[in-house]
Amino acid sequence: MSRLSFAEIDNTVAGTLEPAGRLYWTVVALLFGGVAFGAACWVYQIFVGIGAGGQNNPVNWGTYLINFVFWVGIAHSGTLISAILHLVRAGWRNPIARAAETMTVFAVCTAGLFPFIHLGRVWMVYYMLPVPNQRTLWPNFQSPLIFDLVAISTYLTVSVLFWYTGLLPDLAVIRDRASGVRKKVFRALSLGWTGRYEHWRHYTRGYLLFAALATPLVISVHSVVSWDFALGIMPGWHTTIFAPYFVAGAIHSGLAMVLTLMIPLRKIFGTEKIITMHVLESVAKTIVFTGLIMGFSYGTEAFIAWYSQNSVEMAVFTYRAFGDFALSYWVMIVCNSLVPLLFFLKRFRTRIGWLFAISILINIGMWYERFVIIISSPSHGFLPHNWGHYMPTFIEYGIMLGSFSLFFFLFFLFVKHLPSISMTEMKELVHQESAHE
Amino acid sequence: MSEMRTNITALFENENQAAEAVRAVRGTQWPIKDVHGPIPSEAISEALEVKKSGVGWFTLAGGIIGFFTGYLLAVFTAARWGLIVGGKPVLAYIPFFIVGFEFTILFSVLGNVVGLILLARLPAYRDLQGYPPECSGSYFGVVVDCGADEQDAVHRFLTGLGGRVTVPAPGENGS
Repeated sequence: MSRLSFAEIDNTVAGTLEPAGRLYWTVVALLFGGVAFGAACWVYQIFVGIGAGGQNNPVNWGTYLINFVFWVGIAHSGTLISAILHLVRAGWRNPIARAAETMTVFAVCTAGLFPFIHLGRVWMVYYMLPVPNQRTLWPNFQSPLIFDLVAISTYLTVSVLFWYTGLLPDLAVIRDRASGVRKKVFRALSLGWTGRYEHWRHYTRGYLLFAALATPLVISVHSVVSWDFALGIMPGWHTTIFAPYFVAGAIHSGLAMVLTLMIPLRKIFGTEKIITMHVLESVAKTIVFTGLIMGFSYGTEAFIAWYSQNSVEMAVFTYRAFGDFALSYWVMIVCNSLVPLLFFLKRFRTRIGWLFAISILINIGMWYERFVIIISSPSHGFLPHNWGHYMPTFIEYGIMLGSFSLFFFLFFLFVKHLPSISMTEMKELVHQESAHE
Repeated sequence: MSEMRTNITALFENENQAAEAVRAVRGTQWPIKDVHGPIPSEAISEALEVKKSGVGWFTLAGGIIGFFTGYLLAVFTAARWGLIVGGKPVLAYIPFFIVGFEFTILFSVLGNVVGLILLARLPAYRDLQGYPPECSGSYFGVVVDCGADEQDAVHRFLTGLGGRVTVPAPGENGS
């Protein structure tokens, strides 16, 4: 990486913004079709009622909450990479920080749709806002659902501001190379950034503080998401391990999504010199760490259920492993805690095919983890007469397809219109490496 | 009649050269108008002897305001509906810290952004006039303010420091 010059970095990244070919627009159109299909399903649900989804007693939270937690989880690695790894000065983060931050922003936006979708009567959304209704009744700030609203709104705001602040110097680079309308657009977006020492003086301080604030935030957000479950008295949910377990899971899934997105991206745009194998290998090593935490958490949950000798807890965990959703449970165990162990072996973490395949498996496993948590507990709660089954409906699948399409649609638009690799941070990395040589 | 002033920019390929040039120019009668660069530079900051940024004070103020906003919002809203549920106190002081914490982060970040905008004086579209665009790419630019009649002397001085000097177009950045 140290052989790259500043000009080469600019040229490589600016090259990704060249006008796209037909294949790109075909993929974008297909993804837009997926978004439109999901939107149509949602509109249908709004007219027909929330019963169009499969959520019903006793499983009142289905794929809408599964996808909400899944996308919030995906969002977490962006902040991990851009904030936590920035604070610990991990150089390998620089080539992928921008894409991961962008992933965070789009994933939070996608996640943020699900509470609206799950509301059914979406026009009642203002009930969540801190304004009193006609009976002077305010939202209940003792409720984890309101904690969640506050946390997710904060996370979205912080992620967007962090992302945009980081983009400013790069927008200026593109502005200075562009012409015509494009120049005008980037001129406006870059806020007149000229890289003056006064700009850098305040920027570096502000960016450091951003990272310092985003770090506790990222940990708090998924902790709060976990409390949506853990503060409910439901066997399998009411446990203190949920917060760290959710945070680790979120980072696990987010890192896997980084690999899923980065591997094709570097191939398509020819950025292998910037997003090197060392970078991907470092992500894989971090996945081993988070995978071990996941395995430990799964083991701890089951052990504590047995150790407590609480019959209800034991019944729920037995049901998870051998009941109606046993396949989901074992997919979760294998994909999240066993498959990542392959990255202990160098040949698995240094071969693109394996990296990509394992990242996909972890994504699948993490989706199923949320399925197992959200579905299996209420479907096998305290009272046997209240046990029940859950199956997503066509509408839910449609909305899920729409959410995945929306995420990839936004990301595809981003990579062709804004710098998907932070030129500034790459230059800083090159500069630091050359200073140490 | 005021003296005609102009800005001469010298471009340097690396920060150490630029930092040396900054030190050299500071030893002359010509003031440094600006220093531009593609990356933040510790060496140039040291050469300019600039103080630490004050953005943190905005962040701190935001955080303090945020904490009390969040915490007191939770207290106020709970107190507005003083119905005891399940024998538990109306005001749940401990859980309200969660709301206070999230607001602390939110307002700190907003304070951080406000501080950055105010102190860095963004947006700064006027600064683009006469700004050397090479500086967003690869070069460090040292902009020296001088009288129009000193232009040649400054040019020679900066060239002697190893800089590639750009002469402003007539009327581009003179004042």
